[in-house]
Amino acid sequence: MKIGSHELKLERRVSLSGWQATGISILAIIVALAIFSIIFILAGVNPLTAYAEIFSYAFANPFGLPLTMNRSIFILLCTYAFIIPFAAGLWNIGMAGQLYAGSLAAYAVLLALGVKEFQSAELPTTLVILMMLIAAMLGGAFIGGIAGFLKGKYNINEIVVTMMLNFMMFWVVSFFIKEGGIFMNPGGRGESFELPPSLQPSLIFGIPFTIFIALGAALLLHFVLHKTKIGYEIRAYGENPTAAAYAGISNFSMPLLVFIMGGALAGLAGYHYFGAVPGVYKIARNYGYFGDLAFYGIICGLISRGNPLAAIPVALLFGGLSIGARFVQGKMGMSFGVDFALLGVLMITLVAFQFFYRYKFIWENSKGEP
Amino acid sequence: MAEFFIRSLDASTIFTIAALGELIGQRSGILNVGIEGVMLFGATLGFITAKTTGSYLLGFLVGIAVGGLIGLLHGIFSITLGGDQVVSGMGIWILGFGLTTYIGSPYTGPLGMERIPTILGLSPFFFVAIGLTVIIWFILSRTSLGLRIRSVGENPEVAEVSGISVAKTRYLCVVGGGMLMGFAGAIYSLDYNPVWNYNFLLGRGFIALALVFFSMWNPFILLGGSILFGTLWQLSLNPQLFLPGLMSRYIWRTVPFAITLGALLLMSTKWFRTKWGAATPEALGQPYVKD
Repeated sequence: MKIGSHELKLERRVSLSGWQATGISILAIIVALAIFSIIFILAGVNPLTAYAEIFSYAFANPFGLPLTMNRSIFILLCTYAFIIPFAAGLWNIGMAGQLYAGSLAAYAVLLALGVKEFQSAELPTTLVILMMLIAAMLGGAFIGGIAGFLKGKYNINEIVVTMMLNFMMFWVVSFFIKEGGIFMNPGGRGESFELPPSLQPSLIFGIPFTIFIALGAALLLHFVLHKTKIGYEIRAYGENPTAAAYAGISNFSMPLLVFIMGGALAGLAGYHYFGAVPGVYKIARNYGYFGDLAFYGIICGLISRGNPLAAIPVALLFGGLSIGARFVQGKMGMSFGVDFALLGVLMITLVAFQFFYRYKFIWENSKGEP
Repeated sequence: MAEFFIRSLDASTIFTIAALGELIGQRSGILNVGIEGVMLFGATLGFITAKTTGSYLLGFLVGIAVGGLIGLLHGIFSITLGGDQVVSGMGIWILGFGLTTYIGSPYTGPLGMERIPTILGLSPFFFVAIGLTVIIWFILSRTSLGLRIRSVGENPEVAEVSGISVAKTRYLCVVGGGMLMGFAGAIYSLDYNPVWNYNFLLGRGFIALALVFFSMWNPFILLGGSILFGTLWQLSLNPQLFLPGLMSRYIWRTVPFAITLGALLLMSTKWFRTKWGAATPEALGQPYVKD
């Protein structure tokens, strides 16, 4: 494109600094929100009003803010479940299946301790919660590990595998909580038995304690991925598995490891929503909705470019957007799924913006004069 | 019993047509992991069109056209912009899932039109699927266009030197493939199960993706695989037909996915690869940038 003596040209980026990447990511989010205003306009809603409602409900409303925090912790854990395999060049889209498995494992601990029957555990609360956390991690890690094993051992496409496992685990949860399943609520409403009040973890300023797990995971991952040998090996495998193999990095254990780690974090996301969020405290009937929300983790991971610390503000924003969008949907009488539509638009805009991580526009003086 | 097999063949029709769309794209070197998203778009918009206009023909045309447009979008991201094809495919899937949930929800419920007449009890689209399989096999293996597509998928540099436009050929394949995926989605929502529901495809698109890997990029193996998976899918919906009382119906629902994993495992073994000769398009998934 030519304007006067200057020409707009595309140039391949030689390098991309952290600030440039941040700038592009922020721009992508703004453009996505701008594109999404079309949806509001088509529904007869003023987009400015809608966004004002979304943000004020999500971040400044005494009812909305705790929901945003709960949602953000969940998205953050799902993001980490995505980021770790992504650092190794692998796609974990199985957060849903892994978090279902984590929730089932956590509730299996309660079942084994007789909590379903007696509505209390004989062991100290802290110990029981710790056992639930460990079980959730193991459950998620197991399902994640299947994908990692099949990738490492047989080189089977991990996208297909993790997606198949999502669907399988979806029905497995139904099997356990519905129609006489062993976790079924005695009231029989197609959900699991509830946590007795003694096992509901206390809140800190209205926020579940799992926020410390999520933030701790951020620091730990940042350290592991950038400062340790194993982090270096993960990234080396991600760059080029064949070259990594020559350097002695196993093409079997690397995928297995990253998927076990990612699965464990997704398992914690399952514990978070079904074991620590106020007002839930059971594997809810609409668990599939939470599984679908886990896909926000993919976008959050992509937009923060695999950086665990950068993912924190992004997860907070996406948590707020999804809560706020659901609120606006009800308030403005829009049809179901505004939050999912937003998810889709954010994702596709981000895909388009991937281009600018590799190329930039430059103005060139075509006459060679200043 | 006969009804069960008819339903199975109807189910396999959707797998076949969607997977053929993916097969064409992959043969030209473009991987689209977002089949499910394209199908959701075709199914939802086709359904809405048919419901509001009362015309099946318009519904199918819109489904096919939307599929083509989404295929074009994938082409822009992965051919012109040279982006990561998996990122783009995932984007298309999540966009499809998110947007169709919102667009379709006011239309939740049955289509409420007279059913499409059957031929020998079978959906007419089953015969369309067989026809398409033969046509696509013929084009890919017996025509110069097919040679062009395959050479672009195997070695784009050499193809370009020999005077084939890599970009044009790939666009042709992703748009054509997208149309087939959209068509498959519309067959689902207009004929196979004419009820719109939230995220109703339940992973059929991903099974179609797995089928392409399973087929070794051969349309006839693909057709056979589709019929196998269609039968399994139908069995998982009606386990009482064959094995009453065995396993919970929820566990049966996991069976097609478990079998998919088993099939992927089988075809990844050395024995299977040497027996059937894996013909993975060499340049699959690699962006091609002309120098």
